[in-house]
Amino acid sequence: MIAQKPTTPARSGESFARSSSKTYTLVEIVRGAPPQMIDHGPEDTVFAFPVVALVELLLALGVTVVLLLMSLTMNAPLEEIANPNQTTDPAKAPWYFMGLQELLEHGHPTLMAVIIPTILVLFVLAIPYIDNEREGAGRWFTSARGKRITALTALYTLIVMPAFILVDNFFPPRELLRGIVPDLVAQGLIPAAVLAVIVLLPLFVLRRYRPTNREVMLVLFTLLFVSAIVFTVTGFLFRGPGFKLYLPWKMPGGYNPFLNL
Amino acid sequence: MRAKSLFDVITHSRVWRSFFRHGWPDNPLDRSLVMTTNIFFHLHPVKVSRRSLRWQYSLGLGLLAVILFLELTVTGVLLMFYYVPTVERAYTYIITLQTAVPFGQLLRNMHRWGAHLMVLVVVLHMARVFYTGAYKPPREFNWVVGVVLLVLTLGASFTGYLLPWDQLAFWAITVGTSVAGYAPVAGPTIKTFLLGGPEVGQESLTRFYALHIMVIPAAILLLTSLHIWRVRKDGGLAANEVKEP
Amino acid sequence: MSVPTPSQRKGLTRRQFLGVSWAGALAVLAGQSVVALLNFLRPVTAGGFGGLVFAGKVEEFAINSVNRVLQGRFYIVRTEDGLLALWQKCTHLGCAVPWVEEEGQFHCPCHGSRFNRVGEVIGGPAPRPLDTFPVTVRSGEVWVDTGKPTQRSRFDPSQITGA
Repeated sequence: MIAQKPTTPARSGESFARSSSKTYTLVEIVRGAPPQMIDHGPEDTVFAFPVVALVELLLALGVTVVLLLMSLTMNAPLEEIANPNQTTDPAKAPWYFMGLQELLEHGHPTLMAVIIPTILVLFVLAIPYIDNEREGAGRWFTSARGKRITALTALYTLIVMPAFILVDNFFPPRELLRGIVPDLVAQGLIPAAVLAVIVLLPLFVLRRYRPTNREVMLVLFTLLFVSAIVFTVTGFLFRGPGFKLYLPWKMPGGYNPFLNL
Repeated sequence: MRAKSLFDVITHSRVWRSFFRHGWPDNPLDRSLVMTTNIFFHLHPVKVSRRSLRWQYSLGLGLLAVILFLELTVTGVLLMFYYVPTVERAYTYIITLQTAVPFGQLLRNMHRWGAHLMVLVVVLHMARVFYTGAYKPPREFNWVVGVVLLVLTLGASFTGYLLPWDQLAFWAITVGTSVAGYAPVAGPTIKTFLLGGPEVGQESLTRFYALHIMVIPAAILLLTSLHIWRVRKDGGLAANEVKEP
Repeated sequence: MSVPTPSQRKGLTRRQFLGVSWAGALAVLAGQSVVALLNFLRPVTAGGFGGLVFAGKVEEFAINSVNRVLQGRFYIVRTEDGLLALWQKCTHLGCAVPWVEEEGQFHCPCHGSRFNRVGEVIGGPAPRPLDTFPVTVRSGEVWVDTGKPTQRSRFDPSQITGA
């Protein structure tokens, strides 16, 4: 504890000798609870030791147990030795890239593998610089309205994105328009325009409610996050031999994507 | 004067006192000193708010990611004792590991599932940070660091995917790197630099191995330290931004 | 005569000049290191294959047949006019494309790209026809230079080597 140097001379019996060259001094160490700070409201804090250390220990033990149980019940997959002449059917990227691979199925690679991912990464990096108000941090979805906006956007994405995948799969402009219009239009402009409409539509609706920056971000990030889930699940679970769409329980040849994790 | 217990003798010895510069942490002073004088604890603040400790707030996802990274490091180093990154031998070494080495299969399983879990946890952590608005000022830079960490995590998992040198690995990496090849201007160059040649082969295996066991983990370690340090410097979890009675 | 203080002088002070020089030198050093690193990382090998591959004798390839040459990772297609060597690598994402005799087309299992007999895209996401390798026929032997894959935007009879 730090205190102003008292004007009275030092008395014998004090815990700490005072230095005459300093304007402050350690008077004594107080055992017990620290005093509350002024103007900081009731200080609802606890010492990190040992609470946080215990939480960390318990989490570490929990993770280890879960990992051990998983490892005891499931073996990591191992197929035949790599053969550059024989492609597996289907050939899939690791599951976290299946969203990208699924996206590639619906348009020109330059659009789907380069332009869209670049836009997404730049958007994610830019989020805190677009929504730069300090207000609204530290609470899930910031407000009740934010929660509603997130839920509605998630629902919208869960309907629209699978619909996009299905429509594009059964009526692919790429095949229907092959030879009629250039590839750039059939595989580039058309899917780009459709996706742009899908993304802009909820923003257009939201505009009528005078949204805050945070709420615009909630819509955009939810669109991105839920779409990523939809595309990943579709690519991982619903794509079978020939990368065609199948119901997971009706895969031809007994193909099981979980065996190739 | 009563006789000192053995415990007291040890904890008051000069050797002990040279290791630990604090007493038994059952009082505020020593609980503070534990955090400030111990390198493993010093990333923690001395005091934390009860609000930021609530599991419903953070879901513990950041901690889980760190724990999984550490477990992957341990299991990964152990796997290195039985692995050679050559086209001729990598696959047979995996077979040997799984069939002849005690706990070999178990360790490989733990490394594999741990890697999948880490990707999942890091993605969920990012979603948690977004939905709680924890990227807002003054935490913008830490969000950027987090995005880089997510990319590094994907990179770590992707480079590790090739190492068993089975069909799954070969074709997943062929497809994955071909995607990178579509990037304008730099795409083909990036792909060739990654693969060390026009197609997936021995050079790719060598490069992926170096990236997987050294370059990416070192980068993750460095950036995670920065990430956690920055959490403290920016005022702890964003839960602290909420002032409620 | 008094020495002018830094603020009175025009242009750089000695201290600033030295600072800028040091910073510049360090930047150049860092730049050189990056260039050196990139050069170091540039692959030196040409890959597992890439040389002249002997595909077989001309008479081994029947007219209107598609034959796989495993060691060269390509197909020899014999049309009425001659021979065409197609790289098996899918132009979409690099999978090895199998020839499916029943369908009469190349059908990639990765993303369902389909190519006709001469490698043109007839379906699926592939952006261009299968790449070709130069073919030379010497005294009845078919040689293929796998070091020089050629990209093309459409099939043209000039790509065929007479046999």
